[in-house]
Amino acid sequence: MVTSAIETTSTPDQATLDALRESVANVLTEQCDSTELHAFVDGKNALDKILWAQAGQLGWLGLGIPEQFGGLGMCSQGLVILHGELGRQSAPGPYIATLSAAQTIVETGDEAMRATWLPRLASGEVSAAVPATLDVSGLTRSGAGVSGAMRCLGAADAALLLAPADDAWVVVDLDGAEVAAASMWDRTRDVFDVRLEDATPVGVLPDSAATRAALTRTLALAVAADSAGGARSITERTIAYMKTREQFGRPIAGFQALKHRAADLATKLAVADEMVRHAVQRTVTGEPDADLWASLAKSEVTEACVFITTDCVQLHGGVGFTWDFDPHIFLKRARLNEVLIMANTALRDQAAAALAAITASGRSALELGL
Amino acid sequence: MSILDAQHDLSAFRQAIRDWLAEVVPPDWKARMARASNEEYIAFQRWWMAERSKVGLAIPHWPKEYGGAGLSQRHLIAVADEMARADAPQNRLFTISLIHMPGTLLPHGTEAQKRRYLSGVANGEVWCQGFSEPNSGSDLASLRCRAVRDGDHYVINGQKIWSSNSMYADHCLLLTRTDPNAQKHRGITYFIMDMRSPGVEVRPIRQANGRAEFGELFLTDVRIPAENMIGAENDGWRVAQATLASERGVISFEGGERQRYEIEAFYRNSLKVGAAWLKDAQLHREFVSFLAEMQAARRLLRRVLEESETQGASASVLPSIVKLSSTVLRQRICSFMVRISGMDGQAFALLAEEPFGSPMFDFLSAFSGTIAGGTNEIQRNIVAERGLGMPRV
Ligand SMILES: Cc1cc2nc3c(=O)[nH]c(=O)nc-3n(C[C@H](O)[C@H](O)[C@H](O)COP(=O)(O)OP(=O)(O)OC[C@H]3O[C@@H](n4cnc5c(N)ncnc54)[C@H](O)[C@@H]3O)c2cc1C
Repeated sequence: MVTSAIETTSTPDQATLDALRESVANVLTEQCDSTELHAFVDGKNALDKILWAQAGQLGWLGLGIPEQFGGLGMCSQGLVILHGELGRQSAPGPYIATLSAAQTIVETGDEAMRATWLPRLASGEVSAAVPATLDVSGLTRSGAGVSGAMRCLGAADAALLLAPADDAWVVVDLDGAEVAAASMWDRTRDVFDVRLEDATPVGVLPDSAATRAALTRTLALAVAADSAGGARSITERTIAYMKTREQFGRPIAGFQALKHRAADLATKLAVADEMVRHAVQRTVTGEPDADLWASLAKSEVTEACVFITTDCVQLHGGVGFTWDFDPHIFLKRARLNEVLIMANTALRDQAAAALAAITASGRSALELGL
Repeated sequence: MSILDAQHDLSAFRQAIRDWLAEVVPPDWKARMARASNEEYIAFQRWWMAERSKVGLAIPHWPKEYGGAGLSQRHLIAVADEMARADAPQNRLFTISLIHMPGTLLPHGTEAQKRRYLSGVANGEVWCQGFSEPNSGSDLASLRCRAVRDGDHYVINGQKIWSSNSMYADHCLLLTRTDPNAQKHRGITYFIMDMRSPGVEVRPIRQANGRAEFGELFLTDVRIPAENMIGAENDGWRVAQATLASERGVISFEGGERQRYEIEAFYRNSLKVGAAWLKDAQLHREFVSFLAEMQAARRLLRRVLEESETQGASASVLPSIVKLSSTVLRQRICSFMVRISGMDGQAFALLAEEPFGSPMFDFLSAFSGTIAGGTNEIQRNIVAERGLGMPRV
């Protein structure tokens, strides 16, 4: 199945994107530093709520939403910058689910859905949830009602759920639904279980296939960007540690074996960043291969990120194995990212099918478009 | 009844262990321990030691004059193998008591020390190892914890870190600096420290896997009688080599055997329930590759055991090669389990109820293999420099 990505807004210029990155980074490095993050992980502050309120005020939550619905209309490029910076700080909050659901409604929702939900999502008044994995759905539809149980990515107080129920994609108002927050190894992410009993959806998306493709692609870009940002950040922190940690009378960063390891990590990061950029660019220009590259960016980059964060634990030595240092937080986030959307084996299968379809149609999937 | 009565016939010995395990191991122990508090877990560990003690299996590998049974390596392998097969509890709380302490005292302790301490283990005495310090990990010989002679005592001041089970320990194998002016390997002295001495403070450290199994030791004017010195003053580094060498034996062997049964049970169960990963050819291929590596690792572990009884074993780098291959394999297998468990595997769970029941817990715990006991990077240096004759720069 190949669907082309349609961006509903014009693309921002580089200067605007750079300014966005800088302002997001400034806020997050100040408010979501290692100390605050550890306190959050230990349940000692409400960092997720504080950041969310601020994200709403600063317009981050409307980055990809067209201006007529209260957003900034910066499309995928803006979103990927935000997710990358959130990943850098391992920032807690339901960003991936909310922003991806919003983007999907922008692309494949109907007018009523857009008008009802997008302004509220853009302001941060409400958050949204999506299935934690898209290839297994626990929801069924009989008549107008939706029933079943499902594990969702998103805050347990999310207002809406965008999910498949049999062959339709529906928006369910979660007000009054039976939800239970799940405790995950990655404490920076919200996951919950929902049980619906004959719930009436507040909307049914007109095109199921396009909706599934749009949500898969948007989530894939978000997760890949988050992983790439997290991997880069923990690598920088690890290298900084290696420069100050002394053994055998010198900084461990001076050992050639470790220099080579760091150089390998830097190489993997450079590759990962380009994979994300390539997928975003194909999306922005609406290429038929956009879904293919988004799926591959997610599978490749999340696995690279698991490798990198694992190595960062090891490069710290004993302190890397403690709760009080940063590496385990990034490693756990990386491992959750790895299994989101669907197993990477399944995403690669989708990419292979897309490649075959594009090639069979006489086109090339390998244009860089630069 | 003592299982040791059957020791002259190895298969009867095995059968006796098997019968005893079938009787004594509570079938639900894993499920219970998965929900246990630290205190309950420690009480359980002590109970298990007492049960082993009753049938002569607490310290069967020690010489008879110190309360052991003087069992051969082959018998020890049989014990470890049967324990693993029965999925019996491990005596984690007693690792230092059972391995490092005798590994140090038997070659280097005084007769009085051996008599006093060796038999204590069968009665449940817990030991910890106070080697690493905040600034001395890989470079252990740079340690700074000070010991100063004062009459017939030494006075200790300093800090130790990562000391496993130190919160529950009765005694500590302690490395200190007695001569700060000597070359770093030459000014170290080894002591037995009573963990209840005034001035010993232990703070648990929480691990990435959520548990707190090791601790930090703050030592302030702790007085240790001179008779608690192991070996001579300033000769502690040589004695410490015996402690480090002792780690190479049966513990890792038993770990390897346990992994075999775990992975077999996991596969059998996957077949039974028709697990989704079995339908994925790529995952299936990955899985069978692990099995080839695992069999090789188990064979290598047996070689290390055989070698440890020969002359010149201390010069061999085989233990380092085995540590490198088996700890990395463990990490990769756990990582595979995490991947195939999908979202379910990401749900927080502190301890495994089933083999690989909590793959993230196992995956995170696998770092103890790649970091503790000399990191894998240090093992690579050992293999390259000592084993392959490559120059140190
Ligand atoms: C689970 C666990 C249990 C432990 N239990 C005990 C215990 O009971 N008693 C005890 O005394 N200690 C214990 N330790 C401590 C352990 O021995 C040390 O953590 C280990 O030796 C590494 O020292 P470090 O943590 O200071 O790391 P560092 O030495 O600071 O190492 C940091 C990084 O630098 C690398 N590195 C250092 N030197 C070199 C070099 N020359 N070449 C290349 N790379 C290098 C290391 O491999 C590592 O990746 C335990 C550790 C763990 C994780």
